[in-house]
Amino acid sequence: MSERIFGGVLLLMSLAGIWIGWDLRPPVSYEPVGPRAFPLLVLALLGVCAVMLMREKTSDTVWAPPPVLRRIGALFLIVLAYALLFDKLGFIVATALMTIPVARFFGGSWKQSVAGGLGLGVGMFIFFDRLLDVALPTGLWLNGILG
Amino acid sequence: METLSLLMQGFAVAGTPENLMIALVGCFLGTIVGLLPGLGPINGVAILLPIAFAMKLPPESALILLCAVYAGCEYGGRISAILINVPGDAGAVMTTLDGYPMAKKGLAGPALSMSALASFIGALVATIGIVAFAPLLAEWAIAFGPAEYFVLMVLALCCLGGLVGDSLPKALTACLIGLFLSTVGIDSNSGIYRYTFDLLHLQDGIPFIVIVIGLFAVSELMLMLQNAHAAGEPISVTGRLMFNTQEFMLAKWTMLRSALSGFFIGVLPGAGATIASAMCYAAERRMAGKDHQFGQGDIRGVAAPEAANNASANGSLVPMLTLGVPGSGTTAVMIGALTLYNITPGPTLFQDQPVIVWGLIASLFIANVMLLVMNIPLIRVFVKFLSIPNWLLVPGVAAISLVGVYAVHGTTFDLILGTLIGGLGYLLRVMNFPIAPFILGFVLGDMMEQNLRRALSISDGDPSILFASPIAIGLWVAAAAMLIGPRVMKAIDARRVPQEAVAH
Repeated sequence: MSERIFGGVLLLMSLAGIWIGWDLRPPVSYEPVGPRAFPLLVLALLGVCAVMLMREKTSDTVWAPPPVLRRIGALFLIVLAYALLFDKLGFIVATALMTIPVARFFGGSWKQSVAGGLGLGVGMFIFFDRLLDVALPTGLWLNGILG
Repeated sequence: METLSLLMQGFAVAGTPENLMIALVGCFLGTIVGLLPGLGPINGVAILLPIAFAMKLPPESALILLCAVYAGCEYGGRISAILINVPGDAGAVMTTLDGYPMAKKGLAGPALSMSALASFIGALVATIGIVAFAPLLAEWAIAFGPAEYFVLMVLALCCLGGLVGDSLPKALTACLIGLFLSTVGIDSNSGIYRYTFDLLHLQDGIPFIVIVIGLFAVSELMLMLQNAHAAGEPISVTGRLMFNTQEFMLAKWTMLRSALSGFFIGVLPGAGATIASAMCYAAERRMAGKDHQFGQGDIRGVAAPEAANNASANGSLVPMLTLGVPGSGTTAVMIGALTLYNITPGPTLFQDQPVIVWGLIASLFIANVMLLVMNIPLIRVFVKFLSIPNWLLVPGVAAISLVGVYAVHGTTFDLILGTLIGGLGYLLRVMNFPIAPFILGFVLGDMMEQNLRRALSISDGDPSILFASPIAIGLWVAAAAMLIGPRVMKAIDARRVPQEAVAH
């Protein structure tokens, strides 16, 4: 079933891609094959694959049980929020905030999670930013202090 | 002779104090990444690549780091296979079959040291193989025109698509998604923006690192939550550490045979360490006749897969270095690393970038000696890393991944895109779509399109140029065979197995 739904979505997306790509023609062309041929070819083949996926009779997809699936969804949202706040809050704060719930998901106690979050945030900041010269965001509010 | 002097130059590059240090760090990190269940060479290389780039390492040092990590992972995978019965990476699956029973019998020390030696022999044979064959292959491939190149890349994709995963439509789908994503951004020939949706950050295309980290780090975290099972306590390493003479004599030819076949399997695009170790294990088991304990802790059962998977991991560098066409997910990431440094992979690499190529090959020799030395006496140190709890490891990996993505452009956009691709990667992996063809498609997409357009420009739009030369026709035939062959074989096997089961 999962494959069929995925195949359907994929088919719609490749058709949309072909529709968008149809107008990719340069004003002046110097070559027999322009910028539109390759993506259209790939999308057409993708559409064929999507149809083949929809026709597959057996499915070997095993989804995790719903409670685990909910936690996986939550983990995804946490990482997404981490990505959003990485620059704004600065590496140390964002990492500490991300670590606490993620560590809890993987069986850490509250104490371990908080300590781990602070440790990872500060430790990795020192390691990457100061030792390895990989610039990390300090966050606006810390800019004055850490420079 | 010329090869030898070039190799000596390579040792001069790899032997500088900085590069030796980098190789040492890479070996150490690689072994740790390899032994952690869930993280394999591709994750290790994917996570470290952006960091090497951000540290502004010169290209040869960055590649030495990545290769040392790659080599280290192949050593590390066996540790968790032997001690907790969970392969640290896919290539070590076969090592669990005899490694874990040996450890349970109190022979963890000999199992670990023998597998370390087997890994070393595998890697050594394969590296010698690279020195012997790679320059020849590169010279031959230099005659390729754009049409042959295009077909060669089709062949590489077909090999991987035909061999990995069980479903052909799924492998092709993964590959085509990768190819499509590579077309996003400005088209360098006409200056037209393709599929950028007027987003400024997409104009240069989707950064390679964003795709790699999303597919191999972010999605891995979600899979780790799904597969979170309490791994058993590692069996402690007690008693003698070294194998004895008798065990060595029993396994020496096994190691050499597996190393040789592992190398040749590795050179074929698509057939990676997993296939090599499974094939060599099965072959040794058959050759052992009646007098064996395979499955209950036979020393040859750890020697064969470890020699084979290390040999094939190194062998897979051959198509990458000589043709610029990677044969596996990990080497696809390395090709991406070259392009990050504006180095065009391909047969001219040996002529244009001898420092990089030979430095890399020399560093493989050095890294493997380091790994052998590290992995026998220091084994107890590595075992300690098995007890890193997931509650610390997973957020750590998440943070390092985002650091890597951020280091390239420093934009929130890349971080979010990487996370979204990670979500897509998770869905694909749960539905058993193989991921290696995806990354290979993405890496090869641009080169494929450019070569196709160049070929058709030469023939003024006539597609028959793609079938004009004997080389091109040969490659087309090979591609079709690779796509269909493995499945036909599987179908034949599937018919034969029930009969064998009856016979037993």
